Amino acid sequence: MSVLDPVCGMKVEETTAYRSLYRGKVYYFCSQNCKKEFDANPDKYLREGPHVMKGCC
Amino acid sequence: MVGMHCATCVVTVSKALSSVDGVKKAQVSLASGQASVITEGVRLKDVVDAVRKAGYDVLVANVALRVDAGREELSSLRKKVEEIDGVVSVSFGDGVLKVMYNPYSLSPDQLVQQLKAMGIRASVSEGKSELPEVEAARAELRSMMMRLLVAIAFTVPTIALEFSGFPLYALLTSVPVQFYSGLTFHRGAWRALKNRTTNMDTLVSLASNVAWFYSVFSLAQGGQVYVDTAALLVTFVLIGKTVEAYVKSRAVTSVVRLQVSEAVKLVDGKEVKVSSSELKVGDMVILRAGSQVPADGVIDEGQIWVDESLLTGEVKPVVKGVGEALVGGSKVISGYAKLYVTRTGESTYLAQVLNAVREAQTARLPVQDTVDRVAAVFTPVILAASAGVLAFWLLRGFPLSAALFFAVAVLASACPCALGLATPMAVLTSVTELAKRGITVKDGEALQRLSKVRHVVFDKTGTLTEGRFEVRKVKEIVPGAMQAAASVEALSSHPLAAAIASASSAKEKVEGFMEFPGEGVYGKVGGHEVVVGSPSFARKNTDESVEECDVVVLMDWKPAALVWLGDKLREGVKEAVDELKAGHHVVVATGDSGTGARWIGKELGVEVVAGLLPDQKVELVKKLKEDGPVAFVGDGINDAQALKEADVGIAISTGTELAKYAGDIIMRSPAHLPYLMRASKLTVRKVRENLAWAFGYNSALVPLAAGLLYPAVYISPPVAALAMSMSSVFVTLWSVARK
Repeated sequence: MSVLDPVCGMKVEETTAYRSLYRGKVYYFCSQNCKKEFDANPDKYLREGPHVMKGCC
Repeated sequence: MVGMHCATCVVTVSKALSSVDGVKKAQVSLASGQASVITEGVRLKDVVDAVRKAGYDVLVANVALRVDAGREELSSLRKKVEEIDGVVSVSFGDGVLKVMYNPYSLSPDQLVQQLKAMGIRASVSEGKSELPEVEAARAELRSMMMRLLVAIAFTVPTIALEFSGFPLYALLTSVPVQFYSGLTFHRGAWRALKNRTTNMDTLVSLASNVAWFYSVFSLAQGGQVYVDTAALLVTFVLIGKTVEAYVKSRAVTSVVRLQVSEAVKLVDGKEVKVSSSELKVGDMVILRAGSQVPADGVIDEGQIWVDESLLTGEVKPVVKGVGEALVGGSKVISGYAKLYVTRTGESTYLAQVLNAVREAQTARLPVQDTVDRVAAVFTPVILAASAGVLAFWLLRGFPLSAALFFAVAVLASACPCALGLATPMAVLTSVTELAKRGITVKDGEALQRLSKVRHVVFDKTGTLTEGRFEVRKVKEIVPGAMQAAASVEALSSHPLAAAIASASSAKEKVEGFMEFPGEGVYGKVGGHEVVVGSPSFARKNTDESVEECDVVVLMDWKPAALVWLGDKLREGVKEAVDELKAGHHVVVATGDSGTGARWIGKELGVEVVAGLLPDQKVELVKKLKEDGPVAFVGDGINDAQALKEADVGIAISTGTELAKYAGDIIMRSPAHLPYLMRASKLTVRKVRENLAWAFGYNSALVPLAAGLLYPAVYISPPVAALAMSMSSVFVTLWSVARK
């Protein structure tokens, strides 16, 4: 099943190794960069939705 | 190296080696009779030729290889083979390449492998794999003993005849002593003369020849003979040389003997006795109580208790069962097993240790440079002194025979060989002793540097500790939380997970398991949502505050348990560090920053520098070096940089590929560090004592022999020769005496 990367908005598979558990919910990412970005500031991305990022995907 | 007797020989051979174009560095050791040469673009043949030109020889081995190549290909093949490291020269006959090679750096099997890599099929057609150094040491001992026996057998009648008034017969019976037994000295002296240098042989040869030929001259004029002097001189010096050869051959064989042993091989279900050197990878051998493991391998069947002290330094036997690896040279204490051979010959662990030991034995301690400079001028000074003494007594109106007596005594009493043996003998003994305890010294000079070390820096994980984590403290807030956590962690492969998983033996069913690499795990256990992970991971998933610890367990998003982990100290580490603290500044450098770093500091009572990246460890070593020499004790691979930066790098490594590890010294556990420290101090002390003896001996005996206190005290030439010979015997035995 594919889901959205909360940072860049890309479609990613749930099988990816880039994931975070935040407030009891699992988030999936396209890359280590997006995961890092999310972990540093999870609330921002959950509040504002995906940003189109430079140098991410 | 063949034919080196004295410190001057070392200088001559070193000069010969260094004179070859492309030789960067040459180190020659008198005690081990070996040279190590660092070269760039040099054919080994030129190096060997240079040594031979100087009048010495290099021990080489020959092997004939059957090669699959046409006649016309042979000459291009020869060039290729001569480029292989360790090959001295190549000649060819009927489809056979005759290769002369250096047995220390190449074996026939390796040669065949190298050829195979070049696309040439070859096989060894003859040639036995005897151990060169053992053979050389034994041959020298045999030759010395033979000469000594002849010397004694003819010296006794010579003296009897001379003093009962048969000078002519005395002269005749002294011939075998002077010209067979003494030949080794005359030859050495001739070789030295050809190289325009002088050595101990010059002194002995000149002294005995002066006494002998003066006797002929004197007898012709109807006077007395002094052949007893010549004969005793040769005999006494030979006694010393024989003892020296014996000690050397014993030192060389004690470790090397381990390398070759008898093996019981299974061939079609039958037991066949073979030499371990004939074993091949894939052979099955039988191990029984009392036997020695003949090669590296894996146990295929059975169980045995083995003494692996050679590998681990630990004499206590350990049990080994099916699938476990053994190294050749270990002793089987009890039990029965079949061993599947995985490494033989040059690639075994033992062979690697021996190669490292050989390298280390040729090491020159810095003090040796001074000694060599002294030794180089020592003999000419003695020769001049002897001539001066002769002139002095003649001028004082003494007859020629009496003046010669003093001059010969001076020649016979001076002992340059004690100077030459002082350092290498002590290093050789130490390196060999350490190897027997599982401590491999790759750089002999490190032993001297180690004795001056002020700061000892330890890496923590895997060096002081076993690198296996265990739960040290648990604070369970919700009952049953640890059992749930253990159940979830059992599914993870993270190293810390194993520690938590083993905290509870009862496991529950886990649903929806998910791993977050480097952070933690999630799973549903008995209807509860369980999260186990680092404090930062936990904080993101709970609203409650989390205390500082190593691992947090959340149940239904609330802290349920807090866990503190610890690594276990290796056995004997605490005692070793306590002993080191007495004379050194001990620091633990670790990448850990949490509770583990504080724990080890408290446990060992030492300073801890925490949270260091590998290059920060290098910086720490650099900083400490400003205050005094530093030894770094760490992992041979991860800490390679710090090991190199330190004055002495000691790698704690459990693998069996020695060449892979950085460090001057490699050992299994820091528990043996105090032993190593004591050995290094002992080595330096022995060197000092040996040198003090050698210098003291010469400066006391030479003036006495010259007749300084005549007539109150004087030394006759035979007594002088005895003292000279005992001086080098003393240095040899003193180096070996370890208690």
